[in-house]
Amino acid sequence: MRYKYIYLALLSIATGVFNGCKEDDWLQRQPKDMLTDSQVWKDPVLIQSLIANYYDRLPSLSGVFNTGASSEFDDAMWSGHVDQNGRNDFAYGNSYGRYWDPQQSSNYPNTSYVLIRDINLTLEKMDKLSVNLTEEKKKQFNAELRFIRAFVYFELVKRMGGVPLVTEQLIYDYSGDATPLQVKRAKETEIYDFIYSETEAIKDNFVETGNSRTRANKFVALALQSRAMLYAGSLAKYNNLMSAPISTPGGEVGIPADRATDYYQKSLAASQAIMASPNYALHNTAGTPKGENFYKLFMDESSKEIIFAKDFATGKVHGFTYDNVVRSFRSDIEGSSMLSPSLSLVESYDYLDGTKGTLRDKDANGNYIVYNSIADIFANKDGRLYGTVVYPGSAFRSQPVDIQAGVAEWVNGAYSFKVGNLGSVFTDGKRLTGFDGPRDNDQYVSNTGFYLRKFVSENPQDGVRPSLASNWWPWFRLGEIYLNAAEAAFELNKPEAKDYINKLREVHGGFPANSIATLTTDIIRNERRIELAFEDHRFFDVKRWRIAHLVWNGSETDPTAVVWGLYPYRIVRPGHPDDGKYIFQRVRPTRFRRARFFQMFNYYSSIDPQVINNNPKIIQNPFH
Amino acid sequence: MKMKFFLTQIAVASLFFLGCKHDNYEAPGSILSGRVIYNGQPVAVRTNGPQLELWQDGFGSLTPIPVYINQDGTFSASLFDGTYKLVRKGNSPWLQQSTDTIVVQVKGQTKVDVPVTPYFMIRNENYTVASNTLTANFTIDKVVATSNNLQFVKLYLGSSMLTDEVRKEHSVTADVNTLVLGSNTTLSTTIPDNLKNLPYIFVRIGVKSSASGEYSYSQVQKVALK
Repeated sequence: MRYKYIYLALLSIATGVFNGCKEDDWLQRQPKDMLTDSQVWKDPVLIQSLIANYYDRLPSLSGVFNTGASSEFDDAMWSGHVDQNGRNDFAYGNSYGRYWDPQQSSNYPNTSYVLIRDINLTLEKMDKLSVNLTEEKKKQFNAELRFIRAFVYFELVKRMGGVPLVTEQLIYDYSGDATPLQVKRAKETEIYDFIYSETEAIKDNFVETGNSRTRANKFVALALQSRAMLYAGSLAKYNNLMSAPISTPGGEVGIPADRATDYYQKSLAASQAIMASPNYALHNTAGTPKGENFYKLFMDESSKEIIFAKDFATGKVHGFTYDNVVRSFRSDIEGSSMLSPSLSLVESYDYLDGTKGTLRDKDANGNYIVYNSIADIFANKDGRLYGTVVYPGSAFRSQPVDIQAGVAEWVNGAYSFKVGNLGSVFTDGKRLTGFDGPRDNDQYVSNTGFYLRKFVSENPQDGVRPSLASNWWPWFRLGEIYLNAAEAAFELNKPEAKDYINKLREVHGGFPANSIATLTTDIIRNERRIELAFEDHRFFDVKRWRIAHLVWNGSETDPTAVVWGLYPYRIVRPGHPDDGKYIFQRVRPTRFRRARFFQMFNYYSSIDPQVINNNPKIIQNPFH
Repeated sequence: MKMKFFLTQIAVASLFFLGCKHDNYEAPGSILSGRVIYNGQPVAVRTNGPQLELWQDGFGSLTPIPVYINQDGTFSASLFDGTYKLVRKGNSPWLQQSTDTIVVQVKGQTKVDVPVTPYFMIRNENYTVASNTLTANFTIDKVVATSNNLQFVKLYLGSSMLTDEVRKEHSVTADVNTLVLGSNTTLSTTIPDNLKNLPYIFVRIGVKSSASGEYSYSQVQKVALK
């Protein structure tokens, strides 16, 4: 009996539903959870937000404040949580630096070809559907999209060699035959040539973003050209100087030596065009110490040095300050000190009188050199050292840092080294180990005696979770362009090469004018290391010069493959003139367990076997 | 009452353990082992360095199985029975023959010697120690005639069996300009402080061709110092 009513009620509801169907607008409603083609491609605001998403996905290896990956080269070691100590204990694997994964997954949400497909789709849809946009707008968007695509291809070619050059959507026709979608790898030269021709084609199309530093414009495109052509030139030259050049028969890897001059010339021309622009200048605030000036270059968003940056803001923040702030400035118990710069980086900064930067810790007889003050050993160094590294005796956030490893007590004619807990006091009532360490084999405190200053914010609030920091990431800056120009000009035997380097050393480092009389490749390579430290250049630079396997040769006895530290000790020797002064000891941190080891197969990452299974036309990289 | 509860729990838990049997795959039970050889002699390599590669057809997508070669030139891999293709890869001190595969039938304990063509071979090596100086006598033969130049010849001293270009306590480099291929070469070195007080050390000679990133080595020898 009760069921009868239920049936009746159901019936009446159903009828009501069917009645409703008569009205067209009942079924034809705009979806509230997605945007349709017609909505997106007719609205410049929506297209712009789409492009903003692509800018956000621009790839890097250790860039965009990637603390972990930045600790895997020779400029720093990992001093953060011990469970990530693998960063101090590994050899570069087959797939290290791979940027080409078989499919989109949670592990690789932004794999290269997904981003390339999104860009190709946008270009095609805009062509077809954005009929009401002005020509100017279309030109602007088109140029930005093609810049991002060229940038992605550059990231691909520098890690993987020549890759399939896909510039349109690949759509399966359900014919049962997928071979039309299987694109073979282009030659390495073809990808570099594509980057050049694309940036050339679009450089004058940026009608709206001429003064932007966070969206592409003519000079951003030229900066990419300057860097990419320099890479191609050095590959053409230095790969062929190896005893056994790395190449494949089809040219997927390997650039003919006769292309070097052409590539270097293109790079130099692009660099010169940027340097000639009044929009950009090397950051140089009069009256500011050079180290402070170099540090501010990255933090001051009005700086005219930055060509293209990834900006952060409230709501879109990064944890770089949290990760790397000096230990005693940390805001909670987990952050701080993760990247500890290496002694070899610190020693790469020359003295201002032009002598090599090797620190003078011992004299010719092997005796310790005694310093009155803990900072004296770093006196008169290139200003960029202060701007990049927090070293003993320097200041951070206007307060002196407390870096002291321990005391060296004079016992029976020799120094006996004693260390304690952070902030401990020795029996003489003075400091034993500083609040900022260094402490060997400890976490969240420097293990090398150095902290990072570059990109680490002076504002205490920037190191607090969850608000964190919002300073921007420089993709391209004028300092790099000067170095690109110097290197290209040097390779082309042009005399002005040394002028570019000297200008940079003068403005950023505080050297006198014309500090270098005779330029060498070693000087250029060293300048790149110190000027661009922690800016995602080092790995790719040593790779394209084909010296990575020599610099990171895996040998535990090799000073360039091992990260060393420098520990300051206060002398305790009552009654002696050296009492209370400082000596420095070179140490190999216990946590640094394995020398960096770059093997021949690391010059090009392996291609995932799944990629080759999906597309049998793909040729594996050499040595894999 | 409490007892009963525990019994139930144990019963339920044991069900889970029983279930596991059906989920797990069997571990590979067959072992493929062998040596990389030239003229019947194993070619010694760097530990954790050169690899061979196994491929198996017939299971959908192809994924290589890496096989590391021990420093004395032997290798082994746990596999399922079946047919495999063995590939000699690049980044090795011998000619790359990546398209020249060796078909291997694996059934139970299988032994396969893989012939390779090293760029250089070292023979007749012997070591003598006198008053803290170690002297090595050896002969280097050039095997591959074309596009193969002698780049480095080194003598390595180490405190462990695993001594090579990467792991070593001490090494000296021979002058390759004066070295005569195919005849006796002498290379000597003072034993460094960190090794000279040990009862014995391990020594080895390595030779590198310009065509490869890897060295080929003589077998490691234990040399008594006391």
